[in-house]
Amino acid sequence: MSSGGADLATVDGALGADSPLPRDNGELVFDEPWQGRALGMGVVAIDRAGAPWPDFRRHLASAIAARVTSDAESPATAYYSAWLDALEALLAERGLLD
Amino acid sequence: MDRAARSMGELSGAGLTDAHDHHHPRPTSAVELRARALEALLAERGLVSTDAIDAVVELYENDVGPQNGAKVVARAWVDGAYRARLLSDSNRAIAELGFGGAEGDNMVVVANGPTVHNMVVCTLCSCYPWPVLGLPPTWYKSPPYRARAVSEPRAVLREFGVELSKDVEIRVWDSSAEVRYLVLPMRPDATQGWSEDRLAAIVTRDCMIGTALPSALEPAMS
Repeated sequence: MSSGGADLATVDGALGADSPLPRDNGELVFDEPWQGRALGMGVVAIDRAGAPWPDFRRHLASAIAARVTSDAESPATAYYSAWLDALEALLAERGLLD
Repeated sequence: MDRAARSMGELSGAGLTDAHDHHHPRPTSAVELRARALEALLAERGLVSTDAIDAVVELYENDVGPQNGAKVVARAWVDGAYRARLLSDSNRAIAELGFGGAEGDNMVVVANGPTVHNMVVCTLCSCYPWPVLGLPPTWYKSPPYRARAVSEPRAVLREFGVELSKDVEIRVWDSSAEVRYLVLPMRPDATQGWSEDRLAAIVTRDCMIGTALPSALEPAMS
């Protein structure tokens, strides 16, 4: 897609059932504005870096598993924190953060 | 399109304001600072731009729609075997086209016919088959629709511009977290020979909730 990023259905498909975007009755859930931007940032950066979505999915699954969950943290906050971890790991792996 | 309270567009706007008149400046969290720092770094490396992120945010806001459901209906209109599968095992037939997942898992498709009209409501809240229909319209979530669709469906349909003859039975289906219904409308007679794509373009969201009937008049913008 020319505007720089996969469409939402593609992202849903790429993430699969193990680490889906947080939703409430279909609506994407963001508890704070940075979470929506983190999603957009990931989609654009993955596209421009030419990174395969399965690689990102793998990093996201590890990041979610590695995070220490806190009761004070909402599910969306936990998810998008892991999303940032995964994005950094993916880009670092490709030598783009050196 | 209907925008729900927590949509991205609203959140990505200017500073946060709570429901009252006064502002509570929220301390910037560590993770938010980290997100900003990463965005700045990626922008410097040419991997993102504010405009591109904004474009994705806007796209996602408008992306969810009833197109998937319309494709399911159009397929059922042109392919009798698919229609039979869709009515007997809706989840599997919808998955054949690559749709479904999460909250759309337990779908039941109900077919309109010459003497039966189906309409869908969620009397408890707003359960909705979003993987095929996108986000629910505001009226679907409104208490009057939720109550009146059950108590006086014919009057509600009339308000939506759907006038059914007295001998058409109206069946109202109450969606829940367990089962979400999708209406398979009747194919308009004047669409013989149309392609699947052309058919899908006339299947509106409301047709699949059962509050409208498809019309062979094509939308101006398609």
